[in-house]
Amino acid sequence: MRGKPFRTGKRSLPLLALVLLVFSAHRSLAIPAFSRMYGTSCSTCHIDFPKLNDFGKAFKDAGFKFPKDDESMIKIPPVMLGAPANAELWPKAIWPGTIPGIPPIGLRMNNYFQYTGTSSGKFASLTPAGTLPPFVPTTDFETGLFSIFTAGNFGSDIAFWVDDDISVAGANSNGGLGDGYLKFVNIGRLLKLPKNSLNLRVGQFELELPFTQARSIWISPYDIYSQANIGAMNSMIPLQQFVNNQFTMADAGKGIELSGGLHTGGYQYSIAFIDQNTSGVGQDANPGSPYVPQATGSNNGGLGVASDANFKDIYAQFQYRFNLERNKESRTAIQAAGPSGPRDHTYLNLGTYYFYGRSVQRLLSQAADGTQTVITAREPFYRVGGNMTFNYRCCLQFNALYMYGHDMNLLPIDASGNLIPLQNLSTAVPVGFIRSTPATFSGGFVDAEWLAYPWMYVMIRYDAVNSTSDRINGLQRNDDGSGFTGAPFNGPFRSTRNRVTPGVQFLIHANIKASFEYQFRPSQSVVIATNPLTGLPVALNPFHTNTAVAGLEFVY
Amino acid sequence: MTRSFLFTLLLIAAVAATAVAGTIEGKVSPGKSVVYVDTIQGKTFPAPSQLPVMDQKGLMFSPHVMVIQVGTTVEFLNSDTVQHNVFWPSISGNKKLTHNLGTWPKGEKKAFKFDNPGVVSLLCNVHPEMAGYIIVSPTPYFAETDASGNYKIENVPDGKYNVVAWHEGMKPQTKPVDVAGTGKADFTLSK
Repeated sequence: MRGKPFRTGKRSLPLLALVLLVFSAHRSLAIPAFSRMYGTSCSTCHIDFPKLNDFGKAFKDAGFKFPKDDESMIKIPPVMLGAPANAELWPKAIWPGTIPGIPPIGLRMNNYFQYTGTSSGKFASLTPAGTLPPFVPTTDFETGLFSIFTAGNFGSDIAFWVDDDISVAGANSNGGLGDGYLKFVNIGRLLKLPKNSLNLRVGQFELELPFTQARSIWISPYDIYSQANIGAMNSMIPLQQFVNNQFTMADAGKGIELSGGLHTGGYQYSIAFIDQNTSGVGQDANPGSPYVPQATGSNNGGLGVASDANFKDIYAQFQYRFNLERNKESRTAIQAAGPSGPRDHTYLNLGTYYFYGRSVQRLLSQAADGTQTVITAREPFYRVGGNMTFNYRCCLQFNALYMYGHDMNLLPIDASGNLIPLQNLSTAVPVGFIRSTPATFSGGFVDAEWLAYPWMYVMIRYDAVNSTSDRINGLQRNDDGSGFTGAPFNGPFRSTRNRVTPGVQFLIHANIKASFEYQFRPSQSVVIATNPLTGLPVALNPFHTNTAVAGLEFVY
Repeated sequence: MTRSFLFTLLLIAAVAATAVAGTIEGKVSPGKSVVYVDTIQGKTFPAPSQLPVMDQKGLMFSPHVMVIQVGTTVEFLNSDTVQHNVFWPSISGNKKLTHNLGTWPKGEKKAFKFDNPGVVSLLCNVHPEMAGYIIVSPTPYFAETDASGNYKIENVPDGKYNVVAWHEGMKPQTKPVDVAGTGKADFTLSK
């Protein structure tokens, strides 16, 4: 399961969200199938799986092949699906390809143990009267993910990748496809473009983020990647948002991607066009019209509808890696030739990225003659930011990412031109929208990762997210006075949440990892009072619900 | 007269040569092992002049096991398009003899002279699955067994020796052998 957006829905239980955050953290993927095929260790490509070293990046860029002399490296030769000479017969013969000599299947399992601070008991006061508050254990062994993944190359520089979570939390639920795509590597050769300047990827894939969530070594996801803009209305503050944009950067997209450059040096870009889906309703849950079939359907039915609108969201990313190696030969090689063995380059990577989409919300309306119509709020949104990495040889890396999110906020109005309070939307008749203060967020993270030993990674990360929609979704009194709803991360009095996460990881073997993180959580409060001077709500008795998480993960 | 004298001298030389050119034979279980005569007190041997090559090809050391006489210089070759490294953490457990040869590109060699006898476990720090062995024999009397474990060490002078058998992943074994023209030592190695 790809990292889920952190959604601060009004009815959600905040502590449950905390726990879910750990569970839905991320998928970490390494490919033991490559170990088998090439007879080599995970550490050939991974520093600390699933994080790639420079050779692993080059292997990935080449379409899951050794960048040079792949044939002489592979221990289990591929099966030919056609003799190479068939290429001369094309189009009167199928273009010859290959499949891996063994099914390139890797499996992964992880388990967690979590310690939750005693502050978690304070959330019991949020439970409506007459219902039992949820019990949060102080210590808990938790089953994680059992995943299958397969990847390789079909010849002609066509690479493939599929990963799927078979079992989540000990049950075959909530899993599903992570990435599933074909990548036509170096397709630019057909247009006589420079090598590596153009690749084409088609299917479902993680966007080429500056820092991958899928191959992150952290147990907990990057908060900014999980940030969604889901605004509503808070009775305690004079602000309302009508945005329901559940898109997060951690989500996989369905579409096509053009990319080029190499992750190991120089420029690298990615431009993707993916389905617009901000409603949060997935293809599996959206049958579309009963009268119009989708793919594989006959009269109706089929695979379901993946898009909310005709518009395709656009993602663009550009990175440039400045190689700081002094030795010229090392600079141009995939890995630097250190005095005691090959290692990653010392480099500075600078990048920027931009995502543009158009969130769509449809409401029932009435024409002047009383005919029922549908009005559509098209709320363009974008995410923009920059990133930096400084890597010193094998062992020390500093990363930083900043993101700014902006959603147009169209508020529904009635026939008189008056704003319709969102809580009355089900009874009122909207006829249009007016533009209001946009929903925005900003934030990012900085982290430091130190490979103290080849088997030990010491890390620390700081996450910050400042969100107007989170503020709106913050703790508020229920209309009926029965208590509070919302997520007390921020409340109406605070719109920034910070998290500090030190961690350490140990490779027991190259394929078995023990990870530890202590998550200093944002300040929270469940007691709200009104400032007698300003009349504004204030939080009392703030506290932190910190969590310590240990993970045990193995791939094979 | 002169002719008879020369003939006698040749005969004596031939008999003497036959007397010192003994052999040690036997069988080692498992096969593909190395057998060598251990240090002979008070005796040294000139270093051989040939330079055996330890290759790195297809992410493997080739040959997997090499046996040399102490004082031999080995050339380490990288035949792969990927970068390699060669180092050994110790020689027969003596960590003071650890050495790292660094990194070099395809087609180039680096040479190292092994002046200490023992077992050298070759490693590559970017491909930890790669393993190779150089057995540095203190004497020029050594052999590798065939797949069945049979071996024959030739040109061994008559005398009493300690013979060592080594196999990857097994405990080495030492046995005394008397060579009087021939000597025999069988080994059954275990983990």
